[in-house]
Amino acid sequence: MSEASHNYLSAKKGLWSWLATTDHKRIGIMYAIACGTFFLLGGILATFVRTELGTPGETILDQDGYNQIFTLHGVVMVFLVIIPAIPGILGNFVLPIQIGAKDVAFPRLNLASWYLFMAGALMAVFGWLFVGNVDTGWTFYTPYSSGASNAVLWLTSAVFVAGFASIFTGLNFIVTVHKMRAPGMTWNRLPLFVWAIYATGIVQVLATPVIGITMVLLFLEKLMQIGIFDPALGGDPVLFQHFFWFYSHPAVYIMILPAMGIISDLMGTFSRQQVSGYTFIALSSVAIAFLGFLVWGHHMFVSGQSALSSIIFSMLTFLIGIPTGIKVFNWVATMYKGSVWLRTPMIYALMFLFLFTIGGLTGIMVGVLAVDVHLHDTYFVVAHFHYVMMGGALIGLIGGLHYWWPKMTGRMYNETAGIIAAVLIFIGFNLTFFTQFFLGSRGMPRRYHDYTELLENFPEFAALNMASTIGSYILGIGLLMILVYALYSLFKGPKAPANPWGACTLEWTHTGPLPDEHNFHETPLVTRGPYDFHLADDVFGPKEEN
Amino acid sequence: MSSAGTTLKHYFVNHEQQFDAAKLGMWLFLVTEILLFSGMFVAYAVYRSWHPEVFAQASELLDWRLGALNTVVLLASSFTVALSIHFVQKGENDKVVVLLLMTLLCAAIFMVVKYFEYSGKFSHGVFPGAGFEPHGIVDGKDYSKYDIPFAPQFFSIYFVMTGIHGVHVLVGMGLFGWLITRVARGHFSPQWYTPVELTGLYWHLVDIIWIFLFPLLYLI
Amino acid sequence: MAQGQHHIIPIRTLAVVFGVLLFLTLVTAVTARVDLGALNVPLALIIAGSKAILVALVFMALKYDNKVNLLVLVLGVVFAVVFLALTLADTEFRGDIGITEPGTTELSVEPVESE
Repeated sequence: MSEASHNYLSAKKGLWSWLATTDHKRIGIMYAIACGTFFLLGGILATFVRTELGTPGETILDQDGYNQIFTLHGVVMVFLVIIPAIPGILGNFVLPIQIGAKDVAFPRLNLASWYLFMAGALMAVFGWLFVGNVDTGWTFYTPYSSGASNAVLWLTSAVFVAGFASIFTGLNFIVTVHKMRAPGMTWNRLPLFVWAIYATGIVQVLATPVIGITMVLLFLEKLMQIGIFDPALGGDPVLFQHFFWFYSHPAVYIMILPAMGIISDLMGTFSRQQVSGYTFIALSSVAIAFLGFLVWGHHMFVSGQSALSSIIFSMLTFLIGIPTGIKVFNWVATMYKGSVWLRTPMIYALMFLFLFTIGGLTGIMVGVLAVDVHLHDTYFVVAHFHYVMMGGALIGLIGGLHYWWPKMTGRMYNETAGIIAAVLIFIGFNLTFFTQFFLGSRGMPRRYHDYTELLENFPEFAALNMASTIGSYILGIGLLMILVYALYSLFKGPKAPANPWGACTLEWTHTGPLPDEHNFHETPLVTRGPYDFHLADDVFGPKEEN
Repeated sequence: MSSAGTTLKHYFVNHEQQFDAAKLGMWLFLVTEILLFSGMFVAYAVYRSWHPEVFAQASELLDWRLGALNTVVLLASSFTVALSIHFVQKGENDKVVVLLLMTLLCAAIFMVVKYFEYSGKFSHGVFPGAGFEPHGIVDGKDYSKYDIPFAPQFFSIYFVMTGIHGVHVLVGMGLFGWLITRVARGHFSPQWYTPVELTGLYWHLVDIIWIFLFPLLYLI
Repeated sequence: MAQGQHHIIPIRTLAVVFGVLLFLTLVTAVTARVDLGALNVPLALIIAGSKAILVALVFMALKYDNKVNLLVLVLGVVFAVVFLALTLADTEFRGDIGITEPGTTELSVEPVESE
């Protein structure tokens, strides 16, 4: 084998070889570049928000500016970063190799999904820059949104188009997992990351069309006043919330499930141990995917929906805790009596465990009807979902990127820099968002640009907000540090071996440092499970390499 | 894509795998269509249960005979599509072309009927949304009497549902036109007819959606 | 070569199903003209559902097909029903919390003010 001279990066050259590629690995890289850019944009917007709130009074933004910035931060982070990132980047790059396939089932559809995603993103940016201001929040609640500026039309269209990108990605992965597995790759030999992406695909396919029709109806509401959602015309704004959250709550699981899959893989690899409760973790992903559809009304406890439905939704919300708890306990059990190797990816896995557990448990708190009435629309909720979306989904993504970085780029990054950045992120994140639990439980409302008048009764708001803002700067420095050493590694990093972590899944054992254009020289024959480290000696040796 | 009957992509092991994958992918896509329409059915159900008498009254303005005619037309087109798959599996491509042409014709009839329904409504001020201002007398029905609260909701839902359904019919017509040229050029064989099969599935789903739209909008 | 083995549905079967579909269309059109009270809606939905099932099983060949495709369709329908059912759980019982009617809010506040 001469991987150095022949791999997926060197197989073809030139910009066009990227823009017209149908190689799932290259599409994954293209998603990485796109999502990375949007993450930077969303992060800068977040810094604006935190800077404004750092001190009372107007700091850098007036109220209109503030409303637009947090709206855009939400839209960019949710629709352009967290939802597409893990399936788009790591799902694309890793999943087909992990199941021993040469590509996804529909490579051209895969490329189309990237272009749809970019089209959606450009529409959003265009609407924001050239059409008008959007200050509806990322949720576009009617009737405010149907009366707002025409830029809303652009953003809803953007969400519609980007939604189809998400559908196509999910559809592709489901079919790939069903039909493209290598010989011997049975369902109970699938890596848990594959299970998670598969479950995510189910959610993407079933939920995303509803945001599509919601956006169409909102579009028509604004364009033609069709009176479905606008109360002034006889419509029902709460119905809009049902439509919106029927997608957007499952969308939370589109964000978190893939991260859970990454964590499962990391726990196994870096504990050198069979992942505890493999079947339970695998099936709990599917269970979360389905249960996730039954709980959307917990976003609407104070919207005026019927008490009956609030009670039903609250009850069902608690059920989500069961499969989630199964996962968390099994991850902890995987480390027990394992040989834990604290490399950067594992640090992120542990961080995930800590942060996501906080995010998940506070989610149960706000799922309690009476508690939610107090906490609704306060910083408690902001803190809760940042612990899930950033502390969960994004930390999982960052851990996964560190884990698969050598396979994607063929180079290693500086381990010390990785650990320092991880520590900075951990400190910065908790300082930013843990303080917000205090702010919220004392009644600091979300989406306010100023809290000067609240200081009379709550003088502690000043210090807490300042701490939160300082935390966000530390967090930002940690994230920028990753960008720096990643770029350095790209050009100057030492060459990576084929399997730097001693992992057991096919992308590590059956490909060179950089995978081939069609992944494998020969289709692998799978004879063991993904975490069978006790059987791994005979696959690591060169004599057995298929 | 080559013109030969068998185009096996390199990343598939055999034709069976490729065909099964394409079909599963199509079914998943059809499910997204179902969920897309489900939003409109939910809106319909909510407003109908809130204002049943308004919906009953407003639906009188829709001509159930035209709706029934379109139902029959679409069912017939589904039948011809199913037959075309039967014959493509047997390799009798001449019949496939004829059957697909008949399907296309049915779809065109459907759209023409829809055109007359829509224009009839528009000419008497029955628009979705803000333009709703019914007037004039048709078949002894005084349209201005239908300018009642929540009648606009009925017609908004009617136009959005049938409009999006109509867009699907138009897309289907484009697909059938494309298929006909390919069948005529001998692209398909009993060994490889995936596009015919998938377009057929799509068309049946469009039919199924209409099977529900017809009674819900025109009859009850 | 593989596709040669696919099940070919006989013309007779297709024709019979088409006939049944036309008949059911006639039935639904006729019964809708008759006032059956509360039964009109369920009857129309049952007929439409039967027609849809016929189309899915025979025209779309799910009866003869890989069962995973049937599973996909069933899942889609189940979640469409979930969407409908849980939304109706709100809209059918809207106001049961007692404070959403404009009048009730004022009434419950007034005695407090008069104290």
